[in-house]
Amino acid sequence: MLRVRENRRELTSRIDVARIVVGAVFAVLASAYWYVQIVRGDHYFGLSENNRIRSVKLTAPRGYVLDRDGSVLVENEPAYSLLLYRREAKDLARSTDFVIRLLGIPAEQVRARIERGRRYAEFVPIPIAENLTLEEVAAVQARAPEHPEFAIGVSQRRLYKRGGSAAHVLGYLAEATPVQIRESKNAYRLGDWIGQKGIERTYEKLLGGTNGERRVVVDSNAREIREESRLESRPGQNLFLTVHRELQELAEECFAEQVGSAVALDPKTGEILALVSSPSYDPNWFTRRVTAGEWSGLMSDPNHPLQNRAIQNTYSPGSVFKVFLAYGALASGEVDPNATVYCPGQAVYYGRAFRCHRRGGHGSVNLRDAIKVSCDVYFYALGRRLGVDGIARIARAFGFGEPTGLDLAHEKPGLVPSEEWARTKRRARWYPSETISVAIGQGPVLVTPLQVARALAGLIEGGRLPTPHLFFASQDPRTGTRLRYEAQPKKSLELDPKRLAIVKSGMWAVLNEPGGTAFGSRVPGLAAAGKTGTVQVAGRNAVPRAGVDRRRLEDHAWFAAFAPMDDPKIVVVVFVEHGGHGSSAAAPIARLLLAKYFGLPIKLRAGEPGFVQAADRSAAAARPAGEVSP
Amino acid sequence: MIGRVLPVPRRLDLVVLGCALTLSVLGILFVSSTTQGGRFDGLATRQAVWVLVGLGAMLAAVLFDYRVLLKFSFVIYCVTLVPLVYLLFFGETIANVKSWIRIGGFQFQPAELAKVATALLLAYLFENEDDAKMKAATVAKVGTIVAIPFLLVFLQPDAGLAATFLPLLGVALFFGGLPARAWVAIVIGVALLAGIAWFVLADYQKERIGTFLNPETDVLGSGYQVRQSKIAVGSGGFSGKGFRSGTQSQLRFLPVQHTDFILAVIAEEWGFLGVCLVLALFASLLLRALALARVARDRGGVFLILGVSSMLFFSVVVNAAMMIGLLPTTGIPLPLVSYGGSSVATAFLGIGLILAVEYRRFANA
Repeated sequence: MLRVRENRRELTSRIDVARIVVGAVFAVLASAYWYVQIVRGDHYFGLSENNRIRSVKLTAPRGYVLDRDGSVLVENEPAYSLLLYRREAKDLARSTDFVIRLLGIPAEQVRARIERGRRYAEFVPIPIAENLTLEEVAAVQARAPEHPEFAIGVSQRRLYKRGGSAAHVLGYLAEATPVQIRESKNAYRLGDWIGQKGIERTYEKLLGGTNGERRVVVDSNAREIREESRLESRPGQNLFLTVHRELQELAEECFAEQVGSAVALDPKTGEILALVSSPSYDPNWFTRRVTAGEWSGLMSDPNHPLQNRAIQNTYSPGSVFKVFLAYGALASGEVDPNATVYCPGQAVYYGRAFRCHRRGGHGSVNLRDAIKVSCDVYFYALGRRLGVDGIARIARAFGFGEPTGLDLAHEKPGLVPSEEWARTKRRARWYPSETISVAIGQGPVLVTPLQVARALAGLIEGGRLPTPHLFFASQDPRTGTRLRYEAQPKKSLELDPKRLAIVKSGMWAVLNEPGGTAFGSRVPGLAAAGKTGTVQVAGRNAVPRAGVDRRRLEDHAWFAAFAPMDDPKIVVVVFVEHGGHGSSAAAPIARLLLAKYFGLPIKLRAGEPGFVQAADRSAAAARPAGEVSP
Repeated sequence: MIGRVLPVPRRLDLVVLGCALTLSVLGILFVSSTTQGGRFDGLATRQAVWVLVGLGAMLAAVLFDYRVLLKFSFVIYCVTLVPLVYLLFFGETIANVKSWIRIGGFQFQPAELAKVATALLLAYLFENEDDAKMKAATVAKVGTIVAIPFLLVFLQPDAGLAATFLPLLGVALFFGGLPARAWVAIVIGVALLAGIAWFVLADYQKERIGTFLNPETDVLGSGYQVRQSKIAVGSGGFSGKGFRSGTQSQLRFLPVQHTDFILAVIAEEWGFLGVCLVLALFASLLLRALALARVARDRGGVFLILGVSSMLFFSVVVNAAMMIGLLPTTGIPLPLVSYGGSSVATAFLGIGLILAVEYRRFANA
């Protein structure tokens, strides 16, 4: 067979094709690298920086909270948490078992935490449990060779040193909610603790300081190679409160068995000396993560311990309201202070009989006496003359119907009724007979204990309404620089000293003249003045229904006082829910507080804090502190 | 006769040799850059030893008459297949595949040697098959010669390494003069095969292909390599971050950086300039090899150069393309540069064969 041999030229021409192909492929490769390295170079450089640099937050230590004398109320303590490093975990089931046996927490909780942690990169440790005891920390560390996947995280936890004392003032911290994170424009991150109530909330920025940041170079196993840069955190400021700790604690003791509120403030500056809401709660619960049981217990308590009664609960002011009306009427010239009203024990208006609290009547009373004996009939007449809008004008001038401006959130404004309010808000016309009730502080008028304290301060200070506040001073923990609270310009309402003297004299008589409604609660040696109030809760003839706590039908008791007469240093307002009469339930507490504040000895009565039974006296006398007056 | 009287000029091609040597030095340099400290310390020295072994093999290939090798190519071919068969039955599984033989402290991939042997046998085949029109029998022979080692490696199962045999088939058919309509038939056949292969491939192999198609899906899984390698290459920019200063490689974000991904390290530390240097060296080497093929003394020499060059070309292109995600991660090292004894040694052996053809261009008998 004839073989046709291939011409060598064919082969060389194919080689020439191959040379072009090789050249072209290398050109394509080079241009691809050009694109990745030159065109997209910056993009990839950013990614490589991202790879190697990790930001680690340096949490700023939160500032302490102290009372006005510098005693620590809130500080920080180390808290230990259990962290799981997924990368190290070879057998998750074994790890889970270990945790369950060690800490006795439910398996679902552990699994839920692990599931939640899976959303983050593998090198991010998963928090499994918080607030380990020192024994548990030791146990975890002892088993470290077997369980290298677990580590102990140390962080700072808030410690409220005095438990439930001043809880409503201090507030508490909790993990930032998604809404709070969004509102902070991501200044806070998930898992950050943030002040939720009280001054912890109001002064979050001040107390929280500024977190720092470490930028570290890490390798692909997230192991730290070196520190690239470090921005130190700025610790939070220490916060001094205006609170007078001894006064606060005594007031709390007085309310140990009762529901209610007490407010003491400096009438000139508005500094809150004591602010009590009872029942209270322990803010330490929240830093230890409330269990579902504790939380529902707290929420289902009919007395709502989380509620700050001094600013969030509104009540009828009762007869305490009379002093403001009395002044308002004098100032407007509507009444002659010496004119008398005859009180036969009741008065008839609009075809209805309105009773005085004293069935037998007070006889003829002028304005001063009407305050002293709290004559309802006198104020019915006064109220009718003023009209509901006249009353509303006076009440608003004393700051009722609006928040006082205290540095705590969620303050209630209360309610000052007027004809317009009835028309627009209540959508039922105002009956003139309602005005008669409002004149003695009953009916729709609603106030908070703090509003009463502020209004009384404004009254005795000649019309200058102070802004109540808890901020006393702040101090930079590094430099020691202190900042004091600068008093806000006060609201001015012109009061005539001569007319004011009449009202103050009536209030003095309440405590210091026989027949005054709080004569039994005077403090010997102290020129104090005050006004009782009793708020009717149920109708006079109401019969307790089955299932209703009899105590819930009792009247609310008010007492508002100031001392001393000529240069007032303190205003005290006491409110006891379902306490009964202002004179018997509220005034005695105010008496204790005033005695404490001015350091005056009084004879303690049975049931009062510090009271010692006569039989025990000799034994107690051996103790140096036994006989000390509050 | 003349040869015996006058000294016949022996020609050592300095372009091919120079490029190969420069590339291997770059390799040692960057292996040392990525392995300083840590558990890979000392690999640069090993690589240098392997380069020396490779140079020895190259020298032997140059001095030994390649025509004698061609004559015995069938025996050589068969001998190199033996360890491949052995591996299938007794091989130790390392990283999912049975492709390594351990001798003392060294590991060796017999498939690398089989590639050279296959190139030799094909060259010997075309030394004699020189019909103007390629015979069907020749096509069948070529197919069989390539298919046997291909399948043995494919079953290891190392599809990437097996694929490096395919350029030999392409080269043989193209330069052997396969007619156009046969090419059409081949394209259709390959498409069909690819369809079938999808059912045959192991899961991790499919995963790699899937990752190639969409590397962003699983950042810490198999897409991780491509992503980190692209970051390394891209972040190098024009002139790089400096020798031994690549963050991606020094902080070990790059996987198997001293072997398969060494070009990414060069790209990160020496930038686009470094990449151009490497590509230019390979391009010069290959274009020079083609030029030598053009003027080779005999048909066997032409096909020997073409076979060896095609394997080098294929590995370089696939490796460079997979650094920046243009091709899937296949585990093909960069010849002469990547760390790996058998790869470096056989690459030098191949270079030796190219040089050998040129060396004896004017020699008789």
